[in-house]
Amino acid sequence: MSRFAMEGVHVLDFAWVGVGPITTKYFGDNGADVIRVESAARPDVLRIGPPWKDAMPGINRSQFFASFNTSKKGITLDLSKPKARELAKRMVPWADIIVESFTPKAMRNWGLDYENLRELRPDLIMLSTCMQGQTGPNALYPGFGQLMSALSGFYYISGYGPGSCAPPYGAYTDFIAPRFSTFALLAALDYRRRTGQGQYIDMSQYEAAMQNLAPALIDYFATGRVLGAHGNASARYAPHGAYRCADEDGNERWIAIAVAGDDQWRAMLAALGADCTDRRFANPPARIENAVAIDQFVGSLTRTHNAQELTAKLQAAGVAAYPVENCVDIHQDDNLEAFGFWHWLEHKEMGPSPYEGLEHRMSRTPGTPRWAAPILGQDNDEVFREMLSLGADEIEQLKKENVIF
Amino acid sequence: MPSELLKGLRLLDLTDEKGALCGKMFADLGAEVIKVEPPDGCSTRRIPPYLEDIADADHCLYSIAYHAGKKSVTANLATDDGRALVADLAAESDFLVESHPLGYLDSIGLGYDALARKNPRLIYASITPFGDRGPGKDYAWADIISWAAGGQMYLMGEEGKPPLQMSIPQAGLHAGGEAAVAMMLAHYPRQIDGLGQRIVVNLQACIVWTLMNEQAMPFLHGSHLTRTGVYFGSADARRKMVYQCKDGHISTLIAGGMTFGNSTKALIEWMRENGLGSDWMRTKDWISWVPGVFMAMTEQDYKETDELEATIQLFLLTMTKHEIYAQALKRRIFLAPVATAADIASDEQLKARDFWTAVPHDTIGRTLTFPGPFAKLTATPIGSTARAPRIGEHSDEIYRGLLGLAPERLIKLRAAGSI
Repeated sequence: MSRFAMEGVHVLDFAWVGVGPITTKYFGDNGADVIRVESAARPDVLRIGPPWKDAMPGINRSQFFASFNTSKKGITLDLSKPKARELAKRMVPWADIIVESFTPKAMRNWGLDYENLRELRPDLIMLSTCMQGQTGPNALYPGFGQLMSALSGFYYISGYGPGSCAPPYGAYTDFIAPRFSTFALLAALDYRRRTGQGQYIDMSQYEAAMQNLAPALIDYFATGRVLGAHGNASARYAPHGAYRCADEDGNERWIAIAVAGDDQWRAMLAALGADCTDRRFANPPARIENAVAIDQFVGSLTRTHNAQELTAKLQAAGVAAYPVENCVDIHQDDNLEAFGFWHWLEHKEMGPSPYEGLEHRMSRTPGTPRWAAPILGQDNDEVFREMLSLGADEIEQLKKENVIF
Repeated sequence: MPSELLKGLRLLDLTDEKGALCGKMFADLGAEVIKVEPPDGCSTRRIPPYLEDIADADHCLYSIAYHAGKKSVTANLATDDGRALVADLAAESDFLVESHPLGYLDSIGLGYDALARKNPRLIYASITPFGDRGPGKDYAWADIISWAAGGQMYLMGEEGKPPLQMSIPQAGLHAGGEAAVAMMLAHYPRQIDGLGQRIVVNLQACIVWTLMNEQAMPFLHGSHLTRTGVYFGSADARRKMVYQCKDGHISTLIAGGMTFGNSTKALIEWMRENGLGSDWMRTKDWISWVPGVFMAMTEQDYKETDELEATIQLFLLTMTKHEIYAQALKRRIFLAPVATAADIASDEQLKARDFWTAVPHDTIGRTLTFPGPFAKLTATPIGSTARAPRIGEHSDEIYRGLLGLAPERLIKLRAAGSI
């Protein structure tokens, strides 16, 4: 029995920023050998993104970068130099999977596209992922997940109503696309085992992200209706939203509550120690119809409660509720703790810092962030010596020439 | 045609809205996906909104989108016969994914241990709101609960107003995708040693993962964000990222440095051509201006940022999303429209990539247009999908063909309410 699911799988990772590195992290955390190729000539922008150890910026001090790059080895090659590209090519026969996430012209210009690389390994599986795909008029669109979240429709469904826009935090689509790319790669790996055939996968983050909005898009094409933002109102639940609780240490606290049927409605009132004879709230359709009034009513009841205690009370009565947690809360959350979600890993320059674990757990071959992200070029000596049989002098020379850089 | 990639593999789908996407992904890649639902249909058949507001299962948009490509059988889990049928299906399956309340399937003999005794190859994934161990393992759930528990809700919205959920709930979709990945990870060692395993997917963790770089802020910077409104980033790096235009909003990233400096310069140059902006905007060294990253914001920086953001707002108000996006593409400015379904439907890039897929729906007498494949695979392309099945549409085919049940037995099971 293997200890990790991906043991023995080799991944050469030319990706950067979010989607690509998160994809290869799935492989690394599950035991694959992942070699991440970077360059000091054009560092991954996440390496200079906050938060930094002790709030001090530095190329090896970003937890933004670190979180997405656990369980990988890190080497540096300045691929704008022919010698570096030759070294990269010499690593290709080793790789079951290659992942890259540059704008489409980069790998082609370097001669490192699939058509060239498959000559070095005919059954290669290669994934290219970029904003809008490898083909089409906007293939070279530069951008990040924040913009993609606007472009693919998520900002428009985020707000208090028509005309309001209150986007999700961060590069939201960067956390949708990697599951599709990883799923496709794993399936391609199995297909190769059965047929001996590798393949090239072109994943547009735009097209992947829209899978999460499929009902709205199907609706538009069929009826012309444009589904937009409507705050926390729901067609299925009322009350449904975030309700203000008692402040703690001068900070606002909120609780999320969703109530479906009459039983839950009565249970919620009982837990809040309240009576309600308001005819507007007499049954589920009436409550949904009067969602604005019900939000005011429920908000007036929750305002004096402690969010955590109220959650326990409501849940004990079978009502869906949970504190609206902030980034301090999630690190003290009993449920995430019981799941073993957080991992404090020792990083070469940052020391110990908190890493997210996997969002699932396997019983027999569980994955885990095996080690912290590499500092820039951390594994150059080992990888070039052992994989490419370069001598210490050669490696030194290549570093002097800024090839290994 | 779905892809041939997972042809020959069978997945049993016992999920509700916490995991429907999982089976859809397997179906897209060519696996046989059998949705098992109660005789009156799974709860996902009754999620609004509905096509043309016709509130029945055939018009349920969620079901249309996320059950596409699946087969449907009915089984009444309240009956012994219904349970036995699902156990028999599981014996013939490679994967099973479910999202019932924790322990329910165990209590009726359909838990992992019972099913794996008959079929040790089975990979069995349970999608749970809070995992299987903590105080919340049996908590009641709605999608908004995961959005709150995972920290995303706290960051979404404006000061003075409540924290927000997206208006099309997302948590269950993340969990469905995660289950699909986890099961394919587990498939790899099974091809070596023939053994399956149990997987637990955690919805709360799926939303925490969307927090990007924010989770570690309290430890490393001693601070954390509250609702960010239309601003991106924290403290010194705070920038407005959503602007109004003539017919809606656009989003852009204004910053300096190697990554963003040229984009900011291009936007300033475009404004200059239209007689807007101050001299300092054009002469400033944007490439080395990175306050909040490698230097502190000075009073001057704050003043300049305010003026720049105000100028950009004024400028963009004169144009439509489409006009602005077209120029941004030409000038390589980091910018995107806050796109509606209508904007997306008319997007030239998606048309050029032949993204949209026609899916005939004889159930409602029309052909619907679906988002196309999530990836383009050269050897095993994903083609058009089959429409979502009607409730129990494949009961006969599966129970007779796969389990070998006699027609009279099926009649009896139907009469007894087991299917």
